[in-house]
Amino acid sequence: MSGDVRTFAPVTSPPAALAARRPGSFTRFLGRRDVMPTLLLMPVLIFFIVWNVIPTLWLLGLGFYRFSLTSGRPPRWTGLYNYTSIINDAGVWADLSRTFVFVILAVGIETLLGMALGLLFWNSQRLPGRRVALTMLFAPMVLTPVASGTFWRLIYDPVFGVLNSIIRAFGFQAVSFLQEASTAFGAVLAVDIWMWTPFMVLMTLAALASVPKAELEAAEIDRLPWHQRLRLVVLYHGKFILMLGILLRTIDAFKTMDLIYDMTYGGPGSTTQLVAMTLYRRAFEAFNMGWSSALAVILLLISIAFTATFIFVLHWRERRAEAA
Amino acid sequence: MKTGWRQHVYHAVLWLVALIFFAPVLWIVLSSFKTADQILAVPPKLIFRPTFANYVRLFSGQGFLHQLFNSFFLSISAVLIAVAVSFLAAFSFSRFRPAGTNFLMFLLLSIRMLPGSAAILPVYLMYVGFGWKDSYYGMILFYAMFSIPFSVWILKGFIDGVSPRFDETGVVNGASWLRIIFRTILPQVMPGVIAASIFNFIFVWNEFLFDYIIGGIRTSNIPVALSTGLYSNGGVDWTFISALTTTYILPPILAVYFFQRYLLVGMTFGTVRGEV
Repeated sequence: MSGDVRTFAPVTSPPAALAARRPGSFTRFLGRRDVMPTLLLMPVLIFFIVWNVIPTLWLLGLGFYRFSLTSGRPPRWTGLYNYTSIINDAGVWADLSRTFVFVILAVGIETLLGMALGLLFWNSQRLPGRRVALTMLFAPMVLTPVASGTFWRLIYDPVFGVLNSIIRAFGFQAVSFLQEASTAFGAVLAVDIWMWTPFMVLMTLAALASVPKAELEAAEIDRLPWHQRLRLVVLYHGKFILMLGILLRTIDAFKTMDLIYDMTYGGPGSTTQLVAMTLYRRAFEAFNMGWSSALAVILLLISIAFTATFIFVLHWRERRAEAA
Repeated sequence: MKTGWRQHVYHAVLWLVALIFFAPVLWIVLSSFKTADQILAVPPKLIFRPTFANYVRLFSGQGFLHQLFNSFFLSISAVLIAVAVSFLAAFSFSRFRPAGTNFLMFLLLSIRMLPGSAAILPVYLMYVGFGWKDSYYGMILFYAMFSIPFSVWILKGFIDGVSPRFDETGVVNGASWLRIIFRTILPQVMPGVIAASIFNFIFVWNEFLFDYIIGGIRTSNIPVALSTGLYSNGGVDWTFISALTTTYILPPILAVYFFQRYLLVGMTFGTVRGEV
């Protein structure tokens, strides 16, 4: 039996096809080598220019003006005033350093925990109901952050929250996690860790999958101790994917906003105010557009630096693959 | 080799880990079937008679249905536009490598890496200037723009994986470029198209800040309504909120279940491929 074999498209012999087609002038126009690439790119370029290039230029320009939407006065040129005022603003520096502490703690813990759990899940191929289990494990990172923030607020609630019920059951005092200056940062950090550790598990599993089987078997035959196996075989091959994961997570943690907005709104005081939230409050509460534009430009430069690092790592692997 | 009870213990541990991560979600799902008294009971009740009153109330509210429609409408239309446009661009980037390809790909990615409030600020000023605020086309086009970088990155990776010999064969046999793109390349990169669509959908579905700032009453989606406390009359109505969140997080969870193969590609901009 030959079975039901399908081809993609009816294949006519070349001469017949050429004879049947009499290219019109438009087809000939499309056939020119330089036209097609530009034409295909055009829609994306239009999107890019209208929604990125123009707004970004606007942003760059506005950074040099004093412009408040609420004052009703036209923008006034102030030169570098906004930038110097940001640099001299102790609040901004505090928020920036808080953001970096948040990023380092969150990404560090998520990476360590994620790698540990990823190694644990390495041999899970024959786990009964694996797909459901992995869905449950990976769910936190795709959930709507606002929804996660909302229901964590209920869990953290000092009176009705399930967490405080557990704490009271052990005989301790209830804690209003999100309302107290000493606990709010940790509470938000914990939610971020809950949300994003699964991502590092995913990346660890991907990294482990990229390790050649033969080398693992060789290491097993050689009876390499586990830490050497990890360092010499697994990390050697998997470090690239892990690095991409850590970078993506760093960039994402730097942007954290929805969660904060929903859980603490930067409070109490400014203990959970990360820099994205600072910008939000200065731009859309105080409507201080000139100052905010300058801060946005600074954040843009930071993100470009992150992206450049990401691309560098990406190409570094390609170069290494070519050299090998 | 692990056999017998050791394997069982191992599997039990794995399930335990998965359950720990899912526990907060389960708690909300449970809460959504409780009455107001049960939800606020101290100590919390694990066993109770489920009620569907919260869902009945949820789906009979006009505001909710309108915002749910917005969530669906905005995400689906933005994704359709973004994926279609990005596929063409990705093909061009992959095959013709026009001057500045690397630079453009870099710029596209850095937009996605920018904190949301910095990205939306100039667009907000522009929309206020043009009067595009709170309009469906303004929202859809902006979301499409924000989904493009991700889609271009994913799709370019996939098209790079298809040998140019397919194009050459097509050219030799007299096929037009459009025919080559849509009949030869597209079927082979379908996984990429699916991954890009799913993850852009989840992104727009979950998005809150942009909708809040450049949208308005007409175009606000569920996350906006949820975080601006549209549903709280005085105190927070936890039964309503938990029914709402349970409904809203269902699509992303189902997406992870049904498209688990694409999770890795989707979470890494297509830079890491494979399955877990």
